[in-house]
Amino acid sequence: MNFISRDSRTLSIARKEFRHIARDPFTLGMALGLPLLLLVFFGFAIDFDVRDIHLTVFDRDNTRISRQFVDSIRGTGLFIIKPGVGGVNDDLDHERVKGTLVIEKGFGEDLRGGKSPKAQLLMDGADNSGAGVIASYLGGLVPAAWIRLKGLEAARMPIQLKTRFLFNGELNSRWFIIPGLAVLIMGLLATLLTATTVAREWEHGSMELLLSTPVKPIEIILGKLLPYLCLGLGAVLLIYVSARLVFGLPFAGSHLLYLVGCLLFLIPCLALGLIISSVARQQQVAMQMSMMITMLPSMLLSGFIFPVESMPAFFYYITAIIPARWFIVVSRGLYLKGEGIVELALPLGILLVMNVFFVRLALKKFKADLEP
Amino acid sequence: MKLNLTLWGFIKKELSQTLRDPRMRTMLFVAPVMQMTLFGYALSTEVRNLRLAGVYQPSDAYARSLETRLYASGLFKPAKIGDSDPYQAVYSGKADAVFVVPPEGLKASMARGQGQIQLLVDATNSTRAQSVENYFNAVMNDQLKDLKIIPADQPHLALSVRMLYNPAMETSYFMVPGVLAMLLVLVTMTLTSSSITREKEMGTFETLIAAPVEKWEIIVGKTLPYVLIGVADIPIVMLFATQIFHVPIRGPLWQLGLGGLVFVCAGVGIGTLISTVAKNQQQAMMAGFLVVFPAQMLSGLMYPLENMPKSIVWISYFNPLKYFVTIMRSVTLKGGDPVVFWMNLWPMALIAAFAILFAFRRFHQRLN
Repeated sequence: MNFISRDSRTLSIARKEFRHIARDPFTLGMALGLPLLLLVFFGFAIDFDVRDIHLTVFDRDNTRISRQFVDSIRGTGLFIIKPGVGGVNDDLDHERVKGTLVIEKGFGEDLRGGKSPKAQLLMDGADNSGAGVIASYLGGLVPAAWIRLKGLEAARMPIQLKTRFLFNGELNSRWFIIPGLAVLIMGLLATLLTATTVAREWEHGSMELLLSTPVKPIEIILGKLLPYLCLGLGAVLLIYVSARLVFGLPFAGSHLLYLVGCLLFLIPCLALGLIISSVARQQQVAMQMSMMITMLPSMLLSGFIFPVESMPAFFYYITAIIPARWFIVVSRGLYLKGEGIVELALPLGILLVMNVFFVRLALKKFKADLEP
Repeated sequence: MKLNLTLWGFIKKELSQTLRDPRMRTMLFVAPVMQMTLFGYALSTEVRNLRLAGVYQPSDAYARSLETRLYASGLFKPAKIGDSDPYQAVYSGKADAVFVVPPEGLKASMARGQGQIQLLVDATNSTRAQSVENYFNAVMNDQLKDLKIIPADQPHLALSVRMLYNPAMETSYFMVPGVLAMLLVLVTMTLTSSSITREKEMGTFETLIAAPVEKWEIIVGKTLPYVLIGVADIPIVMLFATQIFHVPIRGPLWQLGLGGLVFVCAGVGIGTLISTVAKNQQQAMMAGFLVVFPAQMLSGLMYPLENMPKSIVWISYFNPLKYFVTIMRSVTLKGGDPVVFWMNLWPMALIAAFAILFAFRRFHQRLN
């Protein structure tokens, strides 16, 4: 970075920008406190495990065997069961329960007679967050319930499947969320803050003022971005400490590599913020644009919750242009798997290419703005 | 009724100020539609394309046929791991799962009563990892039945699962109405709060106060245009939802309209409230973010609310988005049950009323 060593104009601008941020405690508090708040809040809140599921049961058979079946579901402790009254769909229509189990008449008789006893599970298909998980969980209970009802010894399968869940042995969904949430918060802050503060400068006309001084455009850019880079790194540290201390996440990889990754991720985000600001020129527009361009895609298309592998091919390739999508891979790889530079070469390499691309685009956009 | 000229002027000014900017127009009307298209097609909670590899002796025909069947199921696709160690293959991300068959072969090990397959799964994504195990087990059972190793027509507990309202579990059916809700909250809240704070920042707010207009006219004049913009977004998005994604509207349209109007009012109310607290646009944006982000997370759209700790569920009762998402789902998929509609409308209306009242009071203090 020879321009920094060449003179300190960049640093002067950075100092000025720092003062801007520090003078405004609200912005400072937001930039530093918000990430931690969100992390703790959503770290505690989001949980994909099946728990406290409200289930209505219509026991049309009402024999000892059917009651035993209901008991074996209740016995898991995960369901809150209420007996069904009225129409089968009533509780689902009124959103009182997540699912309704209907045990058909003749359930006990079929079981004793060596036939297949029948039951039906009705799920609320309008709720994507829970229905599939619950249905597959209940389905998984069936073999055990069957063995219990028949009073059989558990039949040994000819092939035993021994599954080893690697890197997250307890299948804790928080371990999946938090490294991703960290990326999300970092990216949002870097892009949003940069886009709006620089757009403010354009809007107030002080950018023209700054440009008319002997300071070179590159120095202005670097000076403006440096404070936000520091803020982003501050957020990373907060997230890291809370992830380790509050949520007990492991950090299996190299910290140095993580730092390199953070820089590789933050720089294109900052550059994107700069691009948005020079396209928008107005704070309001910059705000809207950065929300639309960064918030929704990086929440939904980055693999944060919805796996990119499940997307149709076209969108799968589109996600490749989202920096967060790659840094999430790096973040999870380092937190949970302890991957090294060899395993992470692809995502890190792509981030590097993005650095070059976004920084060059930002410079070009900025230069084009200077010429009348 | 004679139209209030001041109000009319306000509406014209706000609308033209917002709409004259082509980028703003794009943001307001084109972006929602584009995003809906993106999210309606791309997002899926379904587990697909799991990269799986098998490690077994080349002569093991049983293992080979199991592998072929796993790929044919459509859930798994082959992962190229070469000669690498199974653990290494998962570690390096070349495969999501690797199954390892004993070197003596599947048939021989079954004959000894020691049939075993080891499955190594990348459990970074816990939900996905569980599906891998479930699917694998199911495919393996089918295979064993076909090979007559376990009897096929054994009596069993026949539990049939029916997904009501959305039998095919079309992701777009629940995502698209949800995306509309998320966009409305973004549009109404951020537009309102930033429009008012901009006047403050520019100093034009003082001019406005000094002008011979009534206080309520200022407040209504600054908010009503954004209610109109928000409401205008509803039919645009719903047209796309129904025409392109074939999202059904099984309930009465008035529920959609009334629910949308109340929701937009709540969003504008909260946006106004934010603008009375924030000093400049940046603060307004950050405050808006602080409201929008949790509101989306706690809407029940992506994450099950039932699983959350009680204190957080309690917070979600103050989230208008949660009620609107419920209404949207009820109207589009469930036929708009009146009880569900009113039970979700009144809390939303209450939130809107409170936000507007509070904003009005704070405004009043400022104006005096």
